[in-house]
Amino acid sequence: MSLLSTSHLSLSIGEHRILSDISFSVDSGEIIGLIGPNGSGKTTLFNVLSGFLKPSTGTIHLHGEDITTLSPAKRARFGIGRVFQNFGIFRDMTLFENVLVALEALSKEERALKGDLRKVSMETLEMVGLQSHAHTKAGSLSGGQMRLLEIARTLMSGKELFLLDEPTAGVSPKLTQQVADLILQLKKQGKTVLVVEHDLPFIGRICDRVIVMDVGKVVLTGKPNEVKQSKGLRELYFGADPTT
Amino acid sequence: MLSSTFALAALRWTSRRLHYSSHMQLFANALIAGSLAALIAGGLALVYGVLGVFNLALGQLALTGGYVTWWLHQVLDLPLFPSVIGGLITGALMTWLTFEVFVNPFYKHHRFLPLVTTIAWSMILDGLILLVFEERPRSILPGLKKTFEIFGAHISVEQCVLIALTLIALVVFAYVFHCTPFGRKLRAVVQHDTAALSLGINAPALHRFIFILSGIFAGAGGIFIGIDQNLSPTLAFSLTIKAYAAIIAGGKGNIWGAIICAYLIATLEQLLVGIHWFGVFYVPAGYQQTVALLFIIIFLLCRPSGIFAARARAA
Repeated sequence: MSLLSTSHLSLSIGEHRILSDISFSVDSGEIIGLIGPNGSGKTTLFNVLSGFLKPSTGTIHLHGEDITTLSPAKRARFGIGRVFQNFGIFRDMTLFENVLVALEALSKEERALKGDLRKVSMETLEMVGLQSHAHTKAGSLSGGQMRLLEIARTLMSGKELFLLDEPTAGVSPKLTQQVADLILQLKKQGKTVLVVEHDLPFIGRICDRVIVMDVGKVVLTGKPNEVKQSKGLRELYFGADPTT
Repeated sequence: MLSSTFALAALRWTSRRLHYSSHMQLFANALIAGSLAALIAGGLALVYGVLGVFNLALGQLALTGGYVTWWLHQVLDLPLFPSVIGGLITGALMTWLTFEVFVNPFYKHHRFLPLVTTIAWSMILDGLILLVFEERPRSILPGLKKTFEIFGAHISVEQCVLIALTLIALVVFAYVFHCTPFGRKLRAVVQHDTAALSLGINAPALHRFIFILSGIFAGAGGIFIGIDQNLSPTLAFSLTIKAYAAIIAGGKGNIWGAIICAYLIATLEQLLVGIHWFGVFYVPAGYQQTVALLFIIIFLLCRPSGIFAARARAA
């Protein structure tokens, strides 16, 4: 059974059709890249999957359970973690508090499994090399460090499915590699990742499968190499293929 | 350097115009007025930080808490403590009603819509307060208050208790807000409610809680007025304006900035009417209210982000 499946998802706002008939499934432990030009509906799809937008039609199943009508907070408790395009960190809280609050939001049973939450928070910061900044405010970090903090925080909060929205946007090449390592570490732990990204080489390095979207529809799916070679992708990003 | 020299000169100039005892009396008055304003502005800053909305019925909600306490204590003859609890509960219930009817259905469509709906609600409440409690001044503890002298300032026992209770309330709030898991969740919702939701924090429930908490703080402010002075239906607008001046000067949504600025505005109000200007005239007490309005205008012109606005990260 797949971890996540969507069936005929669509979203209309007023007369505008934002998402159209989106159906796909994701197995546990897979890393799926979601690519497509700006405005193709990638972030909107993430908003629908994480509960911030309600689909007009269609269903979403996680672990076989219908989660289509659940609130974002309930979906988070059900195992969906989200990393935002525009940094979902708490800037006036310290790095330590940023991780601690994520752990404190877990259910009582999950908190008991984690043990000493303060110790786990510090270990999380050590994992991404930010332990020396533990007690400084998160707003003073660079963009790349904020991204690392956000991914590490989501990772440690014990989610099953991670929705990462442009995790390398505004991140230096060195930190991009660190972000890639962190995502691959998630895969090793059996976690599932959906990643929206414009950096195609990055997608090629880490993803098992790629879904290409355009104007709110899935137009192509396949392995990274297959998608990279496809004429459809070149046309999508660069317009009509000059070789034809 | 220039600004600190100027500030020092201004302080010396002010000091020369005040005798020690009047100096202390002004300070005591500022502490009393500041404590009242801090209670209301602190709750309001929390609401603005979380929802980004203005609740212009706040002054009326504060008065409701005060009037209900007066009614329970003076009309029904209940002891003071249960009357105060009754006033606080009424303040909370009225604020909850305000949230459910005049804010919650509107703020998600546009954050300025509650500005209009709460103005309408404030007018309805003004009418109801006038109808039920009448225009004449009401005091929860009428009669002459026993005062004592401390460092040259005359202050009543009730005022001392009110200042102390406000400070205790702020310290307890600071502890819960900064040192407990519940407080961390509140701060997370204040700073990024979408991210907080995605971590599984029930942000809508906290929105409601914060709004009601602001009503309890406002109700406490109304009770403060009813004990220290007299309740009057015309006070509501100036309470709201002072609270907004404090949150604008403190950096919109910055709770501690708003509380500090509430004390600062109260001090400036006392100085305005307490100084013998140029050795020639005193400013009439009626002009005290203009300080809050001037504060709003000055800050919106010179530093719209407020005194304590977070600084952006240096490159």
